[in-house]
Amino acid sequence: MGLQFQGSYVAQADPQVLMELHLHLPSVKLQIGGSSGAETTMENFSALFGAHADPPPPPSALGFGPGKPPPPPPPPPGGGPGTAPPPTATSVPTDADKSSAGCGPFYLMRELPGSTELTGSTNLITHYNLEQAYNKFCGKKVKEKLSNFLPDLPGMIDLPGSHDNSSLRSLIEKPPILGGSFNPITGTMLSGFRLHTGPLPEQCRLMHIQPPKKKNKHKHKQSRTQDPVPPETPSDSDHKKKKKKKEEDPERKRKKKEKKKKKNRHSPDHPGMGSSQASSSSSLR
Amino acid sequence: MAEKFDHLEEHLEKFVENIRQLGIIVSDFQPSSQAGLSQKLNFIVTGLQDIDKCRQQLHDITVPLEVFEYIDQGRNPQLYTKECLERALAKNEQVKGKIDTMKKFKSLLIQELSKVFPEDMAEYRSIRGEGHPPS
Repeated sequence: MGLQFQGSYVAQADPQVLMELHLHLPSVKLQIGGSSGAETTMENFSALFGAHADPPPPPSALGFGPGKPPPPPPPPPGGGPGTAPPPTATSVPTDADKSSAGCGPFYLMRELPGSTELTGSTNLITHYNLEQAYNKFCGKKVKEKLSNFLPDLPGMIDLPGSHDNSSLRSLIEKPPILGGSFNPITGTMLSGFRLHTGPLPEQCRLMHIQPPKKKNKHKHKQSRTQDPVPPETPSDSDHKKKKKKKEEDPERKRKKKEKKKKKNRHSPDHPGMGSSQASSSSSLR
Repeated sequence: MAEKFDHLEEHLEKFVENIRQLGIIVSDFQPSSQAGLSQKLNFIVTGLQDIDKCRQQLHDITVPLEVFEYIDQGRNPQLYTKECLERALAKNEQVKGKIDTMKKFKSLLIQELSKVFPEDMAEYRSIRGEGHPPS
C-alpha cells in the first residue's frame, strides 16, 4: 500500500503504522495507491477505517495489490558488505512484543530481573561471619616476612625461591616424577651413604645459616655479632653455649671493672686523685 | 577438619626437624655418626610415608595459586588473606554506592515524570506495582 502526502512524498507503510498515524494525525490528507494502478484519494482516513483503533483490513480486501514490505532501515555509518540483511515484515513477533503490545505506551517495558536477597548493598563480611578474620588480619599489623609466619623453620626462607630453584611455582609447573610407594632403605642401600669425614666446604655451609633473630636490643646488645652463626654439632652445641656464657661473663666483668676504675679516678674522694691531677697538669705544660 | 591440619602440621614439623638434624650430622661428619645418619635417613622415609597418608584426607582442599607467589617471594601468606579481605570490602562498598545511587536516581526520575506525565506514571505504577512497589 503506498501513501502520497499532498503529492510530494511517497512512502510504503504497514497498516498498523497507518493506524497509529490516524490516531495522531486524523486530519492529514492521504492518497493511497496500489500496484494495480487504481488510485483512491481519501480526505479523511477515518471515514474508511472508522474512528476506533481497529486493525485495518488486509490490502487485498480493498482491491489493492499485495502489501509490500516496509522499507529497509538506513545503513549504519560504517556499513559495508559486512552489514546484516534487514528484517523482513513476515518475521514472527516475539512473546515480549506480544505482551508489551497490551501495555499501551510502555511497549518497550520488560519484566524486571528476579530479585535476590543477597546483593552488594549488604555487608558481605558480616553476612559470611568474617568479622573476626577481618579484625585479625586487617586490625593488627601483619608482618611482611615469611620467617614471621614460620619462625621455627630453619634456613633462609625470606629469600625468593628463584635464587636456589626452590620455588613452589616450579614444583607446580614441573612436578617431579613419582615412582610409587616409599620403601625403607635396606642395609645394602645404606652403604651408599658413606660420607667423608670432616667439615663441609663453605659453599654448602650456607644451608644452616639462619637470619639473625631480632631480640630485645637492651639484653643482647653486647652479644650481637654481624657474622653468620657457625654450624653446630649435637655433641658440641651444649659445650659451646656454656663456653660462650663463660667467655661473656668474664668479659662483662672486666668491662665493669674498668668502668668502675675510671669513675673512681675522677671522683674527689679518691686518695690518688690529687697526685694524678698534678702529674697530668705537669705533663700538659 | 582442623584435626587433619594438626596431624599434617605435626608430621611436617617432625620431618623438618629430622632434616635439620641430618644436616647437622652431615656438616661435620665423623665415622661414629654413621649409625645416626642411617637412622635419620630411615626417619625421612617414614616421615614421607606419614605425610603421604595425610594427603588422602586433604584431597578436597584447594589453595589459590596467588598464595604460592607470596611464598616464593618470601612474603607472609597472611598478607594475601589481608589483601583479599580489603579488596572484598572495597568492592562491596563500591557496589553498595552504585546501588544506592541508582535507587535515588530512580525515585527522583519517577517523581519528576509523575509531575509531567501523571496519568502515564499512574499506569506504570499499576503495572509495576504487583510485584515491584514503586520507590
